Amino acid sequence: MMNKTYPSFWRANAPVAYFAVIVLTMPFWFPLIGGYPGLDTKILIWAIFAIGFDILLGYMGYLSFGHAAFFGISAYTTGLMLLHYSSEIVPAMLMSVVVTTVAALIIGMLTLRRSGIYFSILTLAFGEMFYSSAVSTLQSWTGGDNGLTGLPTPTLFGSVIKDTDVFYLTAFFAIVAYFTARRIASSPFGLMLRAIKSNQDRLEFTGINVQRYKISGFVVSAIFAAFAGSLMVIYEPYVATEFLHWSTSGKIVIMSVIGGVGTLFGPMIGAAFMLYFENVISVALHEQWLLVLGLIFMAIVIFLPGGFVDGARRVHRKIMGRSAPSGPPAEKGEA
Amino acid sequence: MSGTLTNHIFLQFVTGLQLGAIYALIALGLTLVFGTLGLVNFAHGALFMLGAYLAVVIAAKFGFIAAIVGVPIILFIVGLILEKGLIRFFYQRPHTDQILVTFGLAIVVQETLKWIFGANNLPFSLPSWGVGIIKMHEWVPFLEGFVVYPKWRIILIGVSMTTVAALFVLLQFTRFGLIVRAGMRDAEMLRFLGIDINKRFAIVFGLGAMIAGIAGVFGGPVTQVDPEIGMNMLVPSFLVVVIGGMGSLPGAVLASFLLGLALSFTAEYSAIQQIIVYVIAVVVLLVRPRGLMGQKGLMEE
Amino acid sequence: MSDDKILHVSRRGLLKAGAATTLALGTPAFFMKNAWAQDALGNFPVNGPKVMFGFNVPQTGAYADEGADELRAYKLAVKHLNSGGGMLETFKPSSLKGNGVLGKKVDFVVGDTQTNPDAARTSARRMIERDKVIMWGGGSSSSVAIAQQYLAQEVGVIFMCGLTHSNDTTGKDKRRYGFRHFFNAYMTGKALAPVLAKTYGKDRRAFHLTADYSWGHTQYESMKEFTEKQGWTTVGNIMTPLKATDFSQYLTAVINSDADVLVLNHYGKNMVNSLSQAVDFGMRDMIKNGKHMEIVVPLYSRLMAQGAGASKIDGVLGTSGWNWTLQDAGSKVFTKAFEAEYGFPPSQAAQTCYCQTLLYANACEVAGTFYPPEVIKALEGFEFEGMGLSGKTLYRAADHQCFKDILVVRGKGPDKKKGEYDLLEVVEEVPRDVVTYDPKIFGGELGPYKPA
Repeated sequence: MMNKTYPSFWRANAPVAYFAVIVLTMPFWFPLIGGYPGLDTKILIWAIFAIGFDILLGYMGYLSFGHAAFFGISAYTTGLMLLHYSSEIVPAMLMSVVVTTVAALIIGMLTLRRSGIYFSILTLAFGEMFYSSAVSTLQSWTGGDNGLTGLPTPTLFGSVIKDTDVFYLTAFFAIVAYFTARRIASSPFGLMLRAIKSNQDRLEFTGINVQRYKISGFVVSAIFAAFAGSLMVIYEPYVATEFLHWSTSGKIVIMSVIGGVGTLFGPMIGAAFMLYFENVISVALHEQWLLVLGLIFMAIVIFLPGGFVDGARRVHRKIMGRSAPSGPPAEKGEA
Repeated sequence: MSGTLTNHIFLQFVTGLQLGAIYALIALGLTLVFGTLGLVNFAHGALFMLGAYLAVVIAAKFGFIAAIVGVPIILFIVGLILEKGLIRFFYQRPHTDQILVTFGLAIVVQETLKWIFGANNLPFSLPSWGVGIIKMHEWVPFLEGFVVYPKWRIILIGVSMTTVAALFVLLQFTRFGLIVRAGMRDAEMLRFLGIDINKRFAIVFGLGAMIAGIAGVFGGPVTQVDPEIGMNMLVPSFLVVVIGGMGSLPGAVLASFLLGLALSFTAEYSAIQQIIVYVIAVVVLLVRPRGLMGQKGLMEE
Repeated sequence: MSDDKILHVSRRGLLKAGAATTLALGTPAFFMKNAWAQDALGNFPVNGPKVMFGFNVPQTGAYADEGADELRAYKLAVKHLNSGGGMLETFKPSSLKGNGVLGKKVDFVVGDTQTNPDAARTSARRMIERDKVIMWGGGSSSSVAIAQQYLAQEVGVIFMCGLTHSNDTTGKDKRRYGFRHFFNAYMTGKALAPVLAKTYGKDRRAFHLTADYSWGHTQYESMKEFTEKQGWTTVGNIMTPLKATDFSQYLTAVINSDADVLVLNHYGKNMVNSLSQAVDFGMRDMIKNGKHMEIVVPLYSRLMAQGAGASKIDGVLGTSGWNWTLQDAGSKVFTKAFEAEYGFPPSQAAQTCYCQTLLYANACEVAGTFYPPEVIKALEGFEFEGMGLSGKTLYRAADHQCFKDILVVRGKGPDKKKGEYDLLEVVEEVPRDVVTYDPKIFGGELGPYKPA
């Protein structure tokens, strides 16, 4: 263990600094590769969602197929707050995080009793339950299939925020999210999550309350989703039922896997790749873009389980010779 | 009222059976593959959909009988190829990887079918012997007045129940079934006994695909054939498997008809009907975490 | 891509760069407003020799068929705007010259709504932000149209709705930047109910199956209101999930009730499936209360009739906005041009999208500018003729709803139809005055001419 002989704060957080530079300069370089304002914001929102998902899948080893539930619950909470309480985003975001945390606690306690495949299917069932409720049973609140429309333009301390403002707001949250996730990953709590992934039984024999750690990991992951869902509505004051649908859960799974699970950075790359693919490259591929994406996804699962990040590392190793170290220190632990 | 309460209960009951019949056909393959191979096949809905599309194409070219015979055979072969060419390599990988690869496969199958056939319904023309209605009041004594039901849907219930029975016979009274059942209980033990369970895996997977094919031929005309039915049917089928107890064949059948009836009897209350399936799932799992007929220790680690 | 577009992007890029620099210097960027945009609004002004339109249609999902037909119509409209022909010959009063719009040639980009409001908004954003469209149109679902109308109001780009039939679109969700040429559920009820009473009698008991979303709800309410005014009784209504494909559990409930009419407030795949299955359940041969059971499909379209098949729609009544067999000058010239281009007649969705494009272009000519508030004012209260149907059409200022005659149509059976596309016969052309209503009944606010 490195313990207190740590390198300087700056060195340890160099990846965050690089990330911040890339993100904050996005408005300059993104249009050069066919991007457009708005898509950059959306990419960062999904990146936040993906980081949180990676804590659950990459670190704890739990594959949720219902993570859209948290993204969507938060989005609806933000939407309802903007609509009925105030157009101020601070109370809306706080409320969204609180509501999502409570939901995650309940769902976590019910689903984390089972592991592996059971967990995946149970989360899928819960996710679909929320979707069906929003579309049908609760439609007087949620606007049903129309989604939540007629929201006011969000404000921050009294002044309207839109477009560029939302981009920088999201960029701020994305950088904080990445920083926080890295801290979590290298903390004792992060180690515990990894221990759960590698051998849960052994951990239980040592007398540790594994269930408590699992639920904490699940809730932390959901909180990232909550921020993402809330920002989504601030970016576009409209809540789509799609946010709760299993296809949103599927999307976050695909992103994370394509990018490289367990690396924190990978899922964000995956998010950027997928949205860029969906909105820019898709124009050239017409209706077949989903098919191409499906094939890429399968190819990565079969041949490159570590995703893009792993691929980049392999290429790097090839070029630098076998002795080169693999990646920055915080991203070890996942082969 | 022209319809009496008896008639009402009878009609919704038959409809519940018919809804359950399709779930059962899809869930059987799902739970069979899971129980033996420990594999959660997210592409199972896609196999059902492939069966339905093949049925439309074959029925239009060579007649419906050809589809009934051909589609399950083709799906069996597709299952074998999939197992040998793809799934086999995932037994040693983490369970999450199995889910991911089959999920990817589901997307690819769905998008390919959409590419070839378009996003709209493919009209399914039934054979002449399947068209028309059955006058139920002539068969069931306690019905009053005039009660009819489409012939095809009755056939579907029959086919589903026959398939279930056939599978039980296969597993209960053949050597192959004995090994598979033992494999569902404890695959390790079989290996110690020197029985090569791996060899049977491909056949089991093919069998699962074949039942999905049967579901496609007979269920397709009822669920309609479009590129979304695969995923639309998969989610409730998963629930059926979970409620019934994963890997339990009788559990899957029981849960299928339970859900079918629940959907049918709540049809007039859409706010309830939309979530009844999930409510049942949550309640069952709270009371019996392993499902109605689940076994302890199966694929839990 | 033209040169001016790259210049334009970099101009915006520079401004973004300014904002970023400010942030780097420590000034909170959140409080910066678009101070440079005194007279710029949305994608106005239009620079360069071309003007860009966006066509956001469902290329995938439940309404893909209709989306394809809408796109065909849009392409035809662009062709006619640029080089004359089609309804430009019959549409009056018209300021269109057949040389583009305000001297600029019309170009277009296409997007896929996936029949999904979120995807539609994302796709529309791309067309607005990257392709700089001055107007966009399309859509085959009310929830998608409503979601896009709100976006239009936020960004200050006009949205000309394609096929949307919900009362909400120009009712409680009406927007200053959204316009609808198509008719709505309320008008359907008002036009259809008297014909139903005349054909099937005033003593009828109706059971409704309703698609569980914005359009379905308003369609049900309107049909209930107007059939009850004719003396009918509403026995029951079941909301069916939008994604349902098997309607058996709902149909058996209808069969077991004492209803003698089934009203299917369904559209697209929903309608094709529920109607076919109702026929499979023997409903059209049933005798209830001593009367022949009837099925009604309030909103008809030829594409859906084709999907269900002639034998299933035989004799079924409903309403339609337009039909290619109409004999007025506008319809004839449009059908002729469409057939010449694609080899088959256009659908009502195609006609409405075609008209919307011409109407927008004409409003720009009348206003003499692309500046959205002026274009909106030119459209509001505009009255015209020669775009299909015989009478005059009014774009009402109060709610951006078009008022024109409505067709009550009946499905033609296999022995009555002449050819593949001849599936609907017009029973009655209900005059515009009969279906006009007070805009106040639905509430809602159009919002400001200049978005906040």
